[in-house]
Amino acid sequence: MTVQCELCPKMCLIEPGQSGECRVRINIDGVLHSVVYGFPCSVSPYDPVEKKPLFHFLPGTRILSIATVGCNLHCLNCQNWDISQKNPEESTAAFLPPERLVQLAKSNRYLSIAYTYSDPIIFYEYTYDTAKLARKEGIRSVLVTAGYINPQPWKELLEYIDAANIDLKFISDDLYRRICTGTLKPVQNAMVMAKASGILVEVTNLIIPTLNDKPEQIRELARWLKTNLGRETPLHFSGFYPRYKMQHLPPTSLKTLEMAREIAISEGLDYVYIGNVRSKEGENTYCPGCKGLLIERKGYTILQNRLKEGCCPDCSQEIYGVWK
Amino acid sequence: MTRRKFIQRLIKTGSAVIAGTCRLAKKVAPRKFVRAIKVKSYPGSLRPLRDIAKQSKWSG
Repeated sequence: MTVQCELCPKMCLIEPGQSGECRVRINIDGVLHSVVYGFPCSVSPYDPVEKKPLFHFLPGTRILSIATVGCNLHCLNCQNWDISQKNPEESTAAFLPPERLVQLAKSNRYLSIAYTYSDPIIFYEYTYDTAKLARKEGIRSVLVTAGYINPQPWKELLEYIDAANIDLKFISDDLYRRICTGTLKPVQNAMVMAKASGILVEVTNLIIPTLNDKPEQIRELARWLKTNLGRETPLHFSGFYPRYKMQHLPPTSLKTLEMAREIAISEGLDYVYIGNVRSKEGENTYCPGCKGLLIERKGYTILQNRLKEGCCPDCSQEIYGVWK
Repeated sequence: MTRRKFIQRLIKTGSAVIAGTCRLAKKVAPRKFVRAIKVKSYPGSLRPLRDIAKQSKWSG
């Protein structure tokens, strides 16, 4: 019997023995199965939280980062295509059920676990069960996601999540369809829901030369963010590198990223960063009140953190984030 | 056509229509799932955690 997966907006109709677009949710005897539950293909104990990127969440800490193969989007520019666009049967994984994963985090004194690299939406049940268990043990959970998920499962998952970096790939539905095989509206809805749920939300926008590097596109994105998520939502402009099916385009220049940052700041966003390319000011956190330097970074390294109890030490302005 | 042949043809046609309708119904009204059940074994190859747990080369 055909099954329909209602986890994400793709709403895949799956014939017996076949998988959905994500490659990992399979119809076995008329029942939907996740073949990656408890089977991460990557477990990284070394990642700094800044790599997610999260700049307003426990800065300077390591985060246990896991991923399985598969993805519900198929972005032509995917940086992690060798796991996101791979079939489970072609991959290697470890057996790490939620109990063992949380135990691993606990015994190594991690403060948080990241569900990342591919997209935690497609290993939803694994993420959900682990995050629920982690919450009980005082370990926080972080999603790094494209946010392409239906509202009900998203709402249920958010109950056990502490922070998320959500990729707003484009502010154009047409580009979402052409480049990512997705649509814009569900992502925007997921972002608004995440922010409204009270978790810490940071947003990443990968700037791809010729596709979404025009000032008016950046302005539109910044305006949407400010209006719908609030001016305090950190925005990371990330540099593109030619990968996967988009090797014909050049990498994003620092100049373009700096232009994007200036536009977003001029539109009223408080925290705008530059990633994937070294930038002196674009990696630091400044106080939106007195403009003083709060956190100085070089790459993923914290050079100095002047925050006092989550506030600016000079003007006492409260800074959006989870600081302890 | 004899009565017996007519009945045989009627049964065959009726069966085909019923089977086709059932098949179509399954496609038109699929079983809907949000949550998936976990499988016991991984379709790919398994390695010990120590072989998997290393510095990730992936972004994010």
